[in-house]
Amino acid sequence: MTQTPTLVEKDRMDERAKRFKSPTFNLQLAVIFILAVAPFIIPSFTFMDVMAKIMIFAVVVASFDLLLGYTGILNFAHGMFFGVGAYSVALILYYSKSPGWHHILLAAVISLVISIVLSLVISFFSLRVKAIFFAMLTLALAEFAHILAVQWTSLTGGEDGISFVLPGIFNFSWSGPTFFGTQMNGRLMVYYLILVCAVFLFAGLVRFVRSPLGRVLKSIRENEQRTVALGFKTFGYQIYAIVFSAAISSLSGILFAMWICYVNPDSVFHTAIMVNILLMVLIGGMGTLYGAMIGAAFLIVTETWLPSILKAGASFAPDVAIIQNLSDRWQLYFGILFVLVVMFFPKGVIGTIRAMLGQKK
Amino acid sequence: MNPVPAIETKELTICFGGHTAVDSLNLSVEPFTLKSIIGPNGAGKTTLFNLISGQYSPTSGKVLFNGKDITRMDVATRANMGIGRSFQLTNIFPSLTVLENVRLALQAKEKIGMVFWRYYRDFPELEDKAYDLLKQVLLHEKWSTEASLLTHGEQRKLEIAILLALDPRVLLLDEPTAGMSLEDVPGILDIIQEIKDSRTRTILLVEHKFDMIMTLSDTIAVLQEGRIICDDTPQAVSNNEKVLEAYLGGGVKA
Ligand SMILES: Nc1ncnc2c1ncn2[C@@H]1O[C@H](COP(=O)(O)OP(=O)(O)OP(=O)(O)O)[C@@H](O)[C@H]1O
Ligand SMILES: [Mg+2]
Repeated sequence: MTQTPTLVEKDRMDERAKRFKSPTFNLQLAVIFILAVAPFIIPSFTFMDVMAKIMIFAVVVASFDLLLGYTGILNFAHGMFFGVGAYSVALILYYSKSPGWHHILLAAVISLVISIVLSLVISFFSLRVKAIFFAMLTLALAEFAHILAVQWTSLTGGEDGISFVLPGIFNFSWSGPTFFGTQMNGRLMVYYLILVCAVFLFAGLVRFVRSPLGRVLKSIRENEQRTVALGFKTFGYQIYAIVFSAAISSLSGILFAMWICYVNPDSVFHTAIMVNILLMVLIGGMGTLYGAMIGAAFLIVTETWLPSILKAGASFAPDVAIIQNLSDRWQLYFGILFVLVVMFFPKGVIGTIRAMLGQKK
Repeated sequence: MNPVPAIETKELTICFGGHTAVDSLNLSVEPFTLKSIIGPNGAGKTTLFNLISGQYSPTSGKVLFNGKDITRMDVATRANMGIGRSFQLTNIFPSLTVLENVRLALQAKEKIGMVFWRYYRDFPELEDKAYDLLKQVLLHEKWSTEASLLTHGEQRKLEIAILLALDPRVLLLDEPTAGMSLEDVPGILDIIQEIKDSRTRTILLVEHKFDMIMTLSDTIAVLQEGRIICDDTPQAVSNNEKVLEAYLGGGVKA
């Protein structure tokens, strides 16, 4: 054995030493900390709602990015898996006489089974059809799920949807001790459940792309036929990615439903959700994973506050009809904003920042 | 009694449209020997390699590996069985680092591609092994460079390191020194010579450097228009009339 470490050994040791000291790691800790204390600092429901949705969608979008950005697979059924998770927990809690912890776990298991089986079926199609047909096929499947949720009224309540109550400390009527002047309640508990789960799921995704398997996915993206010639059966790897991302999407759906305590076909199965996921990925940057947080935050924040900002602006000129009219069209401004982002950050926000910092991939 | 050939083709044929690139080819490579394939441009050398490693499937005929019919197997399966391949046109992962290119090959060899719960750098043995291989091809100083930034010659060396990482039973080397600067060639020759001398692997080599082939090869097969016109010892081949004719008639590139 050599006495002095080789350059690679040195680099590895450096990297290990810095792993929990790097700026990115500290930034992540800071984000988690801010999310954890936020409800104490700004005790507004709208604010908490925005934060919770950002966390959930950051995970959904990151799992979509795992497919699109890391393997180049455009799976329009990604939003459907989100709906599968949401409906699983909603139906189980709705139909159980005394909802308990185990029902949530059961919902997790069921939605995982459904999404894994469905995504395996989808994967087998991806072997046979070209990328564009795969996209169409998954779009059709997602639309089918939407129709199913609308039509199967005896089970799903159709367009009316289902509202349900959560068990134990997650129940909105639960209230606990007071900390720092804020009373613990069911909503807060769900918020923290979302925080914990989102952190774990996101960390799982980050680990996935930095695992040996993630490296193979990257090499497939880079040079597929060379990867095959190394002995990797690319099809198997793509199945892994599709299944993994679908599973994560469905778990996030559970969190979403638990936050709202209500699901209907439009709120979890609509194609608009899929479009939002796509926008978030593009804004944050494809193939960056962390971009998902930026994309989700950007979209959800503007969706929530842009209308009222415009309203507030318009209130300065209450008599000018055109300004009043323009202020109602917040989606128009959102569209313009989106176009600007794509124009100035073609690789998404994170992608552009990385390019500027000249980071190695 | 002859041993089972490491690679054998039986009436191997492939047609592209009306053009027969490899024509009823019967080739047999004894295990642990080095056979060179020479022939003019477009003779079908690369196509033959593609048929052996599985990129192309033949119109008819068979490919055997250690006596086993592998004609219907896909590229990845053949690679896992031990058929390694370097490419005439450099074929690497351009935006990954040099080390990562080799590390991925080792990952394939060690069958840890499906591991998704561990950090990829937590397999130090792979990185160290990759670095050793880069040393063998004298590329270790560039280990952290992005592969696309290497010179053409360096990329050829990387290609060899990737191949060595796969630790194949059979090596298909498609013009490994093409485009390399002159001072780099002997290093690669030494590696090939070393592998040959160890007599643990079988090598099929396509090259156009004639003196190199004469010294390295156990046998030489001459390909012309998809057919073997001569398959013999270097000595016999260099005296063969058909070969001389083919070379004088068909462009002097092996
Ligand atoms: N995929 C393909 N489609 C159509 N024709 C092909 C294909 N691959 C090879 N050919 C043809 O087969 C013939 C043999 O090509 P090949 O690349 O095997 O030659 P070679 O002996 O490797 O030549 P070189 O010395 O230039 O590398 C050529 O006429 C080529 O045009
Ligand atoms: Mg060739």
